[in-house]
Amino acid sequence: MDTLIQQIINGLSLGSVYALIAVGYSLVYSILLFSNFAHGGFLVIGGYICYYTLAAMGHNIWLSGLLAMVGAGVVAILVERLAYKPIRERTNVTLYLLIASMGMSIVIENIFVVTVGGRFRALPPVIPTDPVNFFGLATTSAFDLLSLGMAVLFLAALQIFLSKTKWGLAIRAASYDLRTSGLMGVNVNRLISIVFFVAGLLAAVGGIFLSVRYTLYPQLGFITIKAFVAAVIGGLGSLPGAVLGSLILGLAEMLTAGFISSQMRDLVVFGMLVLTLLWRPSGLLGKQVSEKV
Amino acid sequence: MTEAQNQKQPLLSVRDLHVSYGAIKALRGFNLDVYPGEIVCVIGSNGAGKSTLMNAIMGNVKKQSGKILFEGKPLEGQSFQVVTKGLSLSPEGRKVFAPLTVYENLMMGSFPVNDKEKVKKDLEWVYTLFPRLRERRSQYAGTLSGGEQQMLAIGRALMASPRLLLLDEPSLGLAPIIIKDIFKELKRINEEGVTILLVEQNARQALLLSHRGYVMQTGQLVMEGDAKELLHNPEIQAAYLGTGKKAH
Ligand SMILES: Nc1ncnc2c1ncn2[C@@H]1O[C@H](COP(=O)(O)OP(=O)(O)O)[C@@H](O)[C@H]1O
Ligand SMILES: [Mg+2]
Repeated sequence: MDTLIQQIINGLSLGSVYALIAVGYSLVYSILLFSNFAHGGFLVIGGYICYYTLAAMGHNIWLSGLLAMVGAGVVAILVERLAYKPIRERTNVTLYLLIASMGMSIVIENIFVVTVGGRFRALPPVIPTDPVNFFGLATTSAFDLLSLGMAVLFLAALQIFLSKTKWGLAIRAASYDLRTSGLMGVNVNRLISIVFFVAGLLAAVGGIFLSVRYTLYPQLGFITIKAFVAAVIGGLGSLPGAVLGSLILGLAEMLTAGFISSQMRDLVVFGMLVLTLLWRPSGLLGKQVSEKV
Repeated sequence: MTEAQNQKQPLLSVRDLHVSYGAIKALRGFNLDVYPGEIVCVIGSNGAGKSTLMNAIMGNVKKQSGKILFEGKPLEGQSFQVVTKGLSLSPEGRKVFAPLTVYENLMMGSFPVNDKEKVKKDLEWVYTLFPRLRERRSQYAGTLSGGEQQMLAIGRALMASPRLLLLDEPSLGLAPIIIKDIFKELKRINEEGVTILLVEQNARQALLLSHRGYVMQTGQLVMEGDAKELLHNPEIQAAYLGTGKKAH
C-alpha cells in the first residue's frame, strides 16, 4: 500500500513535468501543424541558464528560474523567426518545418556540446529533496511534491491565459484556423511568437525539474520524446489531452518501475504509444482529423 | 449616376488589378469603385475571380499589379493591418471558429477594437440584428445551422466596426427563405451607415439588394451599372438569372 501511494505520487509528479513539456509542444503543433523537434532544446537551454545563473548570482532559484524561463522563451521565438518563419512564408508543406526543427534540435544540442561540454552536471541543492511523510500514508520526497505543485500552478496559469485574455482567445481561434484569425485583425506572426515564447517558458520549467531529477547534459532534451508520446496518447493538438497523456505516462512509468522493473519503463511507454495508434489514432481527446478542414 | 456617386471620393477604388496563382491568371485588370453609403455587388459564376478580388483587397493574396485605394490612400500590408483601416470580410464558406462559442467568435471579430465600451455597443447591435445569435451566444459555433453560421460570420465582421463590409457569397448553400432573412438584415446594416461590397453567384438576390452592380467574367469586368438596370438586362438574365439559357 505504501509503495503504491508513493509510486502514484511519483508518477503524478513526473507526469506533471512531462505535461509542462507536452503542452507547449502541443500548442505549437495546434497552430503550425508540425512536430517541433527543437522543443527539447528549449528545455535544455532553460536548464543551462538556471545552472549558470545559480552559480553566478548566488543560488536564488526564483531569480534563476525566472531568467531560465524568459531566456528559453526568447530563444524559442528566435528559433521560430530564423528557422521556421522563412519556410512557412514560402510554402504550406509542414514537412519542411519538421525537417528544419530536426536541424535546429541538432544545432542547439551541439552548441552546448561545443561550448560547455557533454558532461553531466548537478544543479546545486536549491530545490529540497528531503523525504516527506505524506499524511502518514507514504513517504515521498519534497522534490516530487514541489514539482507537482509547480507544474499544476503553471498549467493553471496557462489555462487562465488561454481562456481569459484576448491573446489567449486569439490563440484558441488560430489553433482552429490560423488564416481566418489573421482576417480578424490578429497579427499572425506576433501570435506565433507568443506561442513559441509560452512553449519555451514552460519547457524551461520542465527542464529545471528534470535537471534535478536526472542531472543536466546536452542530450537531456531527448526526454521530450516522452512528452511527444504523451501528446499523441492524449490527442495531438489538444491541451487537456497533452496533460492527460502526460499523467498517464508518468503513472505508467512509475508503477512499472515500482512493481515490475525499472528497465521495463520505456518498453511500457512505447507499448502504450503503439496501442494508442492502433486503437485510437487520434488519441484520447484528439480531434478527428477530418474536422480540421 | 446615383446620388452616392456624385460625392467625389470613392471609399474604395480598385484600378487595373491583376492577381495570379502561378500560371493561373485570376484577375486580369479589374476596376471597381464603391462610394460611401452604397451597396455594390460583383456577380460572376464560379471561378470568375470574385473571392480573389476580396482576398486581394484584404491583403490575403498578393496583387501582381494595379492599385487598391481606400479613401484615396493605397491599401497595403497584411490582413491584420487592413482590418484596422476600417474594412472587414465575411469570408466565403463562413469560416466561423467551430470550437469557440458564438460570443467568443464575436469577440474575435472585435480583436482590433480596443475601446471596451465600443465593443459592448457593437455586440448589442449585432445581437439586435441577429437575435438568434443572442439566444445561442454560449453555444459552440460548430453546432449552428448554416444560416446561423452565416449570421455569425457577418456579425463577427461587424464587430471590427468596419466602414466597408465585404461579403463573399453570403447566400452560399442556404435555403431561399434564410437568404431573404439575411439580405434583409444586410439592408438594415447598410441603412445604419455601413457601406457594403458583396460578391455573389446568386445574381438575383445580389442585384435586388444592391444599388450598383459589376459583372465579372474570367477575372475581367464585362459590364457595370445600376443594379435595377442589370436585373432587366437580357444578356444578364440569360447568363446569370436563369430566365434564359445558362452560360455554364
Ligand atoms: N489558392 C489558389 N491557388 C490556385 N488557383 C486558385 C486559388 N484560388 C483560386 N484559384 C483560381 O483562381 C480563379 C478564380 O478563383 P476565385 O477567386 O475563387 O473565383 P470565385 O470566387 O469567383 O469562384 C479560379 O480559376 C480558381 O481555380
Ligand atoms: Mg468564391
